[in-house]
Amino acid sequence: MHISTRKSLSRRAVLKQAGIALGLPFLDAMNPAFGASTPVRHKRFVGVSLSLGLHNPFLVPKDSGTSYTPSPYLKSLQDIRDSYTVISGTSHPGVKGGHTAESSIFSACPREKGSNKANTISLDQLMAKHHGHETRFPSLVMNTDGEQSPCYTESGSMIPAINDVRKLFASLFIDDSAAAKKRQQEISKGGQSIMDIVRAEAKQLKREVGAGDREKLDEWFTSVRELEKRLEANEAWINKPKPKVKDRPQPADRNDASDINRAYLDTMFLALQTDSTRFMTLHCTHNSVRSLDGVDESYHSLSHHGRSEDKLDQLAIVEQAVIDRWADFIRKLKGADLLDDTMVMLTSNLGNASSHDNRNMPVLFAGGGYKHGQHLAFSQTNNYPLPNLYLSMLQNLGMEAESFATSTGTMKGLV
Amino acid sequence: MHVRVLRSSALFLALLVPAQGDLRRELEPFLDQHCYACHDDFDNEGDLNLLDLEFDPQDPQNQEIWQRVFHRIEDGEMPPKKKKRPAAPALEQFLKTLGSPLHHADRADLARQGRVHARRLTQEEYQYTMEDLLGIDLPLNDYLTAESGEGFDNKAETQQVSHFHLDGYLRAAGAALDEAFSRALRGDEKFSRDYNPQLLTKRRGRGNPRGPELRNGKAISWRANLQFYGRMNPTIVPEDGWYRVTVKDIEAINPGEDGVVWGELQSGFGHSSEPLLFDAGLIEATQTPTTKTFRAWIREGHILLLRPKESGKKVSRISNSGTVDYTGLNLEKKGISGIKFGGIKIERVYPNATRAEVQQRLFHDLNPKNYRTGGKTPKLALRRLVNRFANIVFRRPVQLAELEAYHALVLKKYDESKSFSSALKTGYHALLTSPRFLTFIEKPGKLDDFELASRLSYFLWKSAPDDRLRKLAREGKLSEAATLRAETDRLLAHKKSQRFLKSFTDQWLDLREINATQPDPRRFRSFDQILQLSLIEETRRFVNELVNKDLSVTNFLQSDFGFLNTRLQRHYQVPKLPIKPGGGIQKVTLTPGHRSGLLTQGSILKITADGSVTSPILRGVWINERILGRHILPPPPNIPAVEPDIRGAVSIRDQLAKHSTQNSCKSCHAKIDPSGFALENYDPIGTYRVRYGNKKSSAKVDPSGITPDGSKFDNYHGWRDVYLRQPDILARAFASQILEYSTGGEIRFSDRAVLDQIVQHSGAEGCNHGLKTIIHACIASPIFQHK
Repeated sequence: MHISTRKSLSRRAVLKQAGIALGLPFLDAMNPAFGASTPVRHKRFVGVSLSLGLHNPFLVPKDSGTSYTPSPYLKSLQDIRDSYTVISGTSHPGVKGGHTAESSIFSACPREKGSNKANTISLDQLMAKHHGHETRFPSLVMNTDGEQSPCYTESGSMIPAINDVRKLFASLFIDDSAAAKKRQQEISKGGQSIMDIVRAEAKQLKREVGAGDREKLDEWFTSVRELEKRLEANEAWINKPKPKVKDRPQPADRNDASDINRAYLDTMFLALQTDSTRFMTLHCTHNSVRSLDGVDESYHSLSHHGRSEDKLDQLAIVEQAVIDRWADFIRKLKGADLLDDTMVMLTSNLGNASSHDNRNMPVLFAGGGYKHGQHLAFSQTNNYPLPNLYLSMLQNLGMEAESFATSTGTMKGLV
Repeated sequence: MHVRVLRSSALFLALLVPAQGDLRRELEPFLDQHCYACHDDFDNEGDLNLLDLEFDPQDPQNQEIWQRVFHRIEDGEMPPKKKKRPAAPALEQFLKTLGSPLHHADRADLARQGRVHARRLTQEEYQYTMEDLLGIDLPLNDYLTAESGEGFDNKAETQQVSHFHLDGYLRAAGAALDEAFSRALRGDEKFSRDYNPQLLTKRRGRGNPRGPELRNGKAISWRANLQFYGRMNPTIVPEDGWYRVTVKDIEAINPGEDGVVWGELQSGFGHSSEPLLFDAGLIEATQTPTTKTFRAWIREGHILLLRPKESGKKVSRISNSGTVDYTGLNLEKKGISGIKFGGIKIERVYPNATRAEVQQRLFHDLNPKNYRTGGKTPKLALRRLVNRFANIVFRRPVQLAELEAYHALVLKKYDESKSFSSALKTGYHALLTSPRFLTFIEKPGKLDDFELASRLSYFLWKSAPDDRLRKLAREGKLSEAATLRAETDRLLAHKKSQRFLKSFTDQWLDLREINATQPDPRRFRSFDQILQLSLIEETRRFVNELVNKDLSVTNFLQSDFGFLNTRLQRHYQVPKLPIKPGGGIQKVTLTPGHRSGLLTQGSILKITADGSVTSPILRGVWINERILGRHILPPPPNIPAVEPDIRGAVSIRDQLAKHSTQNSCKSCHAKIDPSGFALENYDPIGTYRVRYGNKKSSAKVDPSGITPDGSKFDNYHGWRDVYLRQPDILARAFASQILEYSTGGEIRFSDRAVLDQIVQHSGAEGCNHGLKTIIHACIASPIFQHK
C-alpha cells in the first residue's frame, strides 16, 4: 500500500497546532440532536462481510449495465435498485486459502494460511486512522459470533471484534455509572504513567536482545504509542454524556443468523445517526438458522450444499434473509438522509463456499454519493481487482491515496 | 546475499560450505534431469519454477523453498510416481549436496537469533499466572484479546501485539489487583442460601416461571423442548463470583436403559432478551438419590436452570404456547423422563486461596495492622515490597537500578494519595504491565537457569516458577540433568499439571473445535450436548492416563482400555461393560472391536468431519499432521475442491478417484487420503457404519487403501497395524508436538538429529515410547534448553 503521506502528515500537524489532539471531541460531534443530520457532512464507511459467501448463480444477474434483469436474490431489492451497484467478477489478486482468506477481506493482502507474513492494514482501519479521531469511537469492529475480525492494524495485528450486541449498545448509548467513570478515569490517568514505564522498559530490552526479539519489541513500541493516544482520547470522552436514542433494537433470535445481523445493523444505524463513529465493519459468522421457515440445518452445513437441491433450497432461504436485512439497513440510511454520505458494502471472502473458492467474491455496494443502479460485470474467469474499489472509496473519503494493496487503479465503471 | 555479522561458530561452519554459485551448479544436473520438466519458467507447476530459483539459504524465504524441495524429494513424493525414479546414489548425493548448506544456514540462524522471539503470555498463561501470583480466581479472559488460533496459542511467530493486547493487559491487571486488594483489606464477600423445593418452584406474580414441578415435596424438572425451561427464579446471585452449588437428593424418573437421566445445570438470565446460558455442571441422575456439588462462576443477576437434556427421549407437552402448566398431569405415568431433587444450596466460595494467603502474596511479611499505613517507614516498605514482587513477576533476580522508574512511580503515588495500599497497587500494576513480565526475553544460545525455570514452569504449570524452582535457579542447580528430571516429575505429579494436560490435549487434538460444526439433526438424531461434553472428557482423560502412566504412543492407535460413561457406552454400542450409572467417566477394559485407542474416539471423528459428511481428505490431513507428523502443504491455487455429493449415489471415493487421477494431485493425495479412508467406517459423530445411508441402496463404505509406503489394508485395523509396527513415527510426531508446545517455537530443518535421539531414547529397552519418557527426553534436549 502506498499513501502519499506528506499531505496527511501536515494535516495532522495543523490539527495539533489548533489545539485539537487526536480523538478530542468536537463540539458538534459531542451533542448531535437525535435524527438531525450534522451540519458538516462527513463520509462514512460500513463493511458487512459474510464468512460463508453467497451462492453465485442466485446472486449475479445474467446481464450487465443499468437495465440488468434482477437475479433471484435481488428481486426483493427493486425498490432501492438505484441505491446500490452489483459487482461481479472481482476478487483480491493472490488471495487464497478458502475460509482463512477471511483475514484479507478488507486488507486484500495476499497471504496464505500458516504463513508468518504479517497482514496489512484493512480499509476501515486506514480510513479510521486518518479520519476516525473526531468521534467517540474511531472505528467499530464487530463479529456476530466470535472475536475474529477481518480488520487489521498497520503492524498487522487483528482488531478483536465486539461480539455482544447488548454490550455494543451499552457502550454507545448508556452512560456508565459514576463509579465506573471514576474507574475509567483512573485507568486512563494511571495507564498513561504506566505506559511511560512500559516504553522505557521496551527500549531498554531492545538493547539487551537479539535481532528476532527486537522486531517483536518494535511492535510493543507501536502499541504503547497507540494506546497512549487512545487513553488520552478516552479521558476526554469519559465524562461527556453519551447520545440518547429512543428505541433499543429488538433482541435477536439466536437461531436466525440473519436476525442477529439485523440486531447489529440496527445498532450500527443508530451509531451512524448519532455520529458515534464513521467507520464500521460487521463480520457475519453466526451458524444457527433453524428458526427460519423451511430451514433445518446449520448455515455452514448448508453452504456445503454439494449440489443437493434440498440444501440449495434451504441455503437460498438463509441467504435471501441475509441480503434482505442488509437492504433494510440501506433503506433506513436512505430514510435518514445518511446514505449519500455512507459507503456500504456487502461481500465475502468466498465466491463459492461449497468448494472454498476465493474468486468471484460477491459484492453489493451502496451509497457514498455514487450513481448506482447498475450491474458492473467483470470476467468470471479472469477477475478484476477488487482493491480498485477500495482505492476509489479512499479517494471518495478525501484521502490522497494512490494505491491500496494490489490495486491497479480506481474502480472501472463506478461513477 | 545479506552480509551479517555471524557468531564465530556459525562463521566457522559457513566457511566449510562451498560458495553458493558453485552449489547451484552442483545441483544442476539432477534438477535438469528430474525437475525442470514440470518446474521451469514455462510449466511452473505448483507455483514452483526451479530453473530460475537462486540458491541463497541466508534468505529465509529462499531457504524455505529449498527445504521444501529437499523434503519432498527425500519423502519420495517427487519426482512423481509415474516419472523415472532417480538412481539411489544420485539421489543420495543430491540430498547431501542440498541438505548440508541448508542445515548450516539453519544452525547459523538459530545461533544468531534463537528459535523463539519475544513470545508473550497467552490468555491461558496470563490467567493461571495471575491466579498463582495474587491468589485471585477472577476470570480475566473478558479483558484480553483472543489468540489468533493458528497452531498452538503460544507460537511466537503468529502471536500478535497491538494496543488492544496492551490495553487488555492493562485492564486485566487492574481488575485482578482490585480484587486481590479488596479481599486483603476488606475481606471476602459472604453469601449462603438454602432453597427448598417449595421456594424453587414458586410462581411469582402472574409471570410464567417455566420452572420445575412441585410434587410430594420435591422439585421435578421434566424432559421438555421449551426454551429456558427448568429455570428457578429465586436462585439469583448478588454479584459475579465463584459459587458452590449443592443439588440435594438428585433422582431419576423414568431413566433410560443405562439407568440414567442426563441433564444440565446452567446459569444465565434465562429469558429471550438475554438468552446466553453458561454450563455449570452435568447432572447424571440415577434411581438412587444422590447429593452433588458443583462449582461455577456465576454472573451478577443470573439464576440457575436445571433440566434433563438428552436426545431420543420422549418429550412432554407441558406448555401451552409457552406457559407451563402441570395441572392434572401425571408425567411420570406417561413415561416422561425427569430429574427429581430435594433443594439447592448456593454459597460464595474462593477456590484458589484464602484471604490470609492473598494478604501474604500482596504484603508478604508486613504486619497486618500496617497494611493500610505501611507502618513507621512506609516508603521503605513500599520499596521492599516492590522489589520482592519484581523478582517474582520478572522471573529472575532484578537489580535495584532496574526498578528506579517503578520506585519513582510508587513514591509519587504515595505522596499524592497518602495511601500506602494504593501506592503499592500502582507499583504492582506497572510491574504486571511490563514487557519483562508479559514476554519471555532470552539471549540467543543456551537458556540460563532462570530462563529454564520459566520454560519448564510455563510448560507444565502454565504459570510462573514457584519458590522452589526460583531457589534452584538461584543456586544454579536446575540445569543439572538429575535435578531437572526430578523437578519435571515434581511438577507433573502436582495437580497444576492438569492445566498443561488440558491445554495441550485441547490444542494438539483440536478439541476446542468440537463446536465448529453442528451435526445435521435429521440425520444424527442421537447427538446432543451431553454426548459432546462426554466425548471431550473421554479424550482428555485418555491422554491424561497415557502421560501419567507413561504408556506407549501406540495407544493412539490401539489400546485395551478406555474412559466411558453410560452415555458413551450407548453411543459406541460397546456391549457389557461394568460401567456404574451415575459414576461419571470410568476407566474400563475394552475387548478388541471398533473402539480402541485415540483415533476411534468420537471427539476426534467429529472434529475431523464437517457435521454432515466425512471427508477422507480432512481426516487424512489431520491424522498426518497430528499423529503421523507429516506436514501437508495446502493445495496449489485454482484447484477446485471436491464437493461432497450427499445424494448418496456416488461415494466420496469415486469422486476422489477422479480428483486424484491428475498426476499433480496424486503425489499429495497418496499421502493424505489413505488414513482418511481407513476411518470411513466412522460417521461424522463417530458412530460405526457400513453404508453411507440407512437404505439398502445406499453406497457401501470401502475403508481399504494403500499406505504411502505401499502396504495394503482392508480397513482401519489393517491400516493401524501398519503403523503399530513403526512406533518411531508416532513417537517422533508426538515429540515434535511437545517441543513446539513447550517452547513456542517451530521444529526446524536442522532439528533432525535431536529428534532422532529423542525417538531412539524413548524407544530403548523398557521405555516403550512412553509419553512421559518422551516428555523427559524433550526437556533434556537442546531444543528445549535453547532460546
